[in-house]
Amino acid sequence: MTFGRLIEVHEREIFAYALRLTGNRADADDIFQETFLAAFRAWPPPRSGNERAWLYKIATNKAIDRARRAKRTAPLADLRLAAPERDGVTVADLAAAVRALPAGQRAAFVLRKVEGRSYAEIADVLECSAAAARSRVAEATKKVKEKMT
Amino acid sequence: MTTLSPLLDEARAQLLARADREGLIAVGYGVMDSPLGPLWVAVGPRGVLAVHYGARPDERELARITRAYGPGVVPDRRRCDRLLAELDEYFAGRRRRFEVEVDLSPLTPFQRRILTATARVAYGEVTTYRDVARKAGNEQASRAAGSALGANPIPIVVPCHRVIATDGSLGGYAGGLPAKRRLLTLERGESSVPAGGWAPSGR
Repeated sequence: MTFGRLIEVHEREIFAYALRLTGNRADADDIFQETFLAAFRAWPPPRSGNERAWLYKIATNKAIDRARRAKRTAPLADLRLAAPERDGVTVADLAAAVRALPAGQRAAFVLRKVEGRSYAEIADVLECSAAAARSRVAEATKKVKEKMT
Repeated sequence: MTTLSPLLDEARAQLLARADREGLIAVGYGVMDSPLGPLWVAVGPRGVLAVHYGARPDERELARITRAYGPGVVPDRRRCDRLLAELDEYFAGRRRRFEVEVDLSPLTPFQRRILTATARVAYGEVTTYRDVARKAGNEQASRAAGSALGANPIPIVVPCHRVIATDGSLGGYAGGLPAKRRLLTLERGESSVPAGGWAPSGR
């Protein structure tokens, strides 16, 4: 395994994930770069064949750190890259609702509702139990729904 | 429909520039279209490490590179620019000698001796496996020379296509015999292989 191979295989989904987590391109660029740089510095991957979960974990932690450091609003326009259009609901509304979530819940919501991950996978990325992952997703979903109605 | 690709290309370029500044990158690779199909090339701190027939590297070759230089092997055409330009000129018939440095350090001493002797065979000339073995210090080792040339990680630049069998037949080639034939006819300005094959020089 080389850095190049890791980039080739995972760059697309990590970049899309970073866009979904942050909702704007500038922050997504940073999360993307910091994730891979952290992976290179921490080389080798913890277990062969587990690179994807490892990168998701790093990206999630970077996004949570960043959200904690800078509680500020960011432009939402770029979320249209990641979110599907739905009837009666503007993408901007949905994006605003997702962005309003605390970082951990936002990651749980994006992983489950946008990326369609299993609770076991989400638990792995967020380093919590599957039950805790499930309740984080439920809480986040409830908050998003409240915002949207 | 907005695509991710242009955004991703920029993000990747920035990532690679940062990784390079941190000293995490040792080897850059790229793919070029050639008249012989795609070529995967890799350039490290001491010169060209690989020219591989195909769009993807051979796993053993990649393992050899990472053993020598670590995992910092990334797509980076900038590092390959000079080599790619020289290859373009070569295929256009405008270059008879490669000036890029080649890095044979990840190879065994015997492979290095064989490839160094091969690198001295001039443009348009052909020699034999036996002659290359002799110049590498062991005339009896022509079969081993053949194996070393078959595993040449830097074909074209280290011109193993100029080494043929003693009877004038082409022998083998990692890129396939049509590729070997094509390189030799290009260098000799011939449109096809002459009747009776080519006469090896330097015997």
